[in-house]
Amino acid sequence: MEIKQYWRLFKNGIFGENPVFRLALSLCPAVAVTTSVRNGFLMGIAVTFVMTMVNITVSIFRNLINPKVRIPAYILIIATYTSVIDMTMAAYSRAAYKEMGLYIQLIVVFAIIISRAELFASRNKLLPSAVDGFGMGVGFMVALMLIGAVRELLGKGSLLGIPLVGARPMLIMVLPTGGFFVIGLLMGTFNWIEKRFFGGTGAAPGGHGMH
Amino acid sequence: MNPKDILKITINLTIVCVLAGIILASTYAKTEPVKVRAEEREKQLALKSLLPEADKISEIGKVQLIEGKPEGDIYAGDKSGQTIGYVTDAIGKGYSSFIKMLVAVDPQYRIKAIDILSHGETPGLGDGITERWFQDQFKGKTVDQLEVVKVETKDKIQALSGATISSRGVTNGVKDAIIKLEGKLKEESTKAQGVTEKSPENPGTSR
Repeated sequence: MEIKQYWRLFKNGIFGENPVFRLALSLCPAVAVTTSVRNGFLMGIAVTFVMTMVNITVSIFRNLINPKVRIPAYILIIATYTSVIDMTMAAYSRAAYKEMGLYIQLIVVFAIIISRAELFASRNKLLPSAVDGFGMGVGFMVALMLIGAVRELLGKGSLLGIPLVGARPMLIMVLPTGGFFVIGLLMGTFNWIEKRFFGGTGAAPGGHGMH
Repeated sequence: MNPKDILKITINLTIVCVLAGIILASTYAKTEPVKVRAEEREKQLALKSLLPEADKISEIGKVQLIEGKPEGDIYAGDKSGQTIGYVTDAIGKGYSSFIKMLVAVDPQYRIKAIDILSHGETPGLGDGITERWFQDQFKGKTVDQLEVVKVETKDKIQALSGATISSRGVTNGVKDAIIKLEGKLKEESTKAQGVTEKSPENPGTSR
């Protein structure tokens, strides 16, 4: 594959198939942790790392894992990665662990990771799989930070922890309810831009009920 | 699916599980002692920052904070042989979690400082309990002043807006811990009364 194709693959994770706004996957953590830009960023970093590593691993072993038990095998791979990272950080990197420990443990059940392992890494070579995992992770991070920015600005009157608005903030925006509002509105905006400027069809309606 | 397939699948999945198990076990064996040491060191540092003037902080006993939970520790901070304060573990029931804290008091049981060790309160609302201004409210307060109100206050505790239950959790946890600490120390000093009367106190070691 050429560089151009890798670049397209990477961009696909951010725009074409953005995990939150286009695939509508992993919405549960997208609501739960996006009360500020910072939280979204930390979660995004953790997901990007795990997803890239899982895609690489699945791609390497794709011909050795029996297709009939691939889902449990993928879940084991994800769980092993998150546990190893969790334990290693808890021991050697206390400051970072205090900030991110909570997020790392959540990652095991993320639909977006298992969905990329199943749809992409299990059918592609190592390098494209790594690029796909990385691109999807960055797309997830961008989405989380966008949601976090809107919620932090409206719900706390600040951005990146810096107070900006003097008026009384709308508490509802930091609650899960506000998270749904913001995700819905941003998803709509993404679809509108896609339709208006790129002639796309918009995200498939529905999504699904996985985490 | 014939029996041969079942066997193949079973072996395949077993290998994956065994591999994962080996990786996890070896990581755990390598990291756990390091983690325990790091946590111990952090607790010492937290104790130090709560009683910065003390030159020696030692554990002096245990206290049952919440029924059915492990006992909390009590520490005494000494400076030149004199007790200048105590630190006790504290647990408060917040909105969505148990809030674990350390509380430092002077010998008159006035609060010197509190420190939140861990909690699982709502991000964006209840997690405001870790903010400096909220914790600083506790400084110099006595047990009777530990009451949460929703307006600005000097001699009580002002609730975080939108997180009254978390604020109350911290306040009640601190209050409860101090009352239990006081009870425990009083009980011990009455027990030790006889001993101290027989052997006169050492003259101060301060220079």
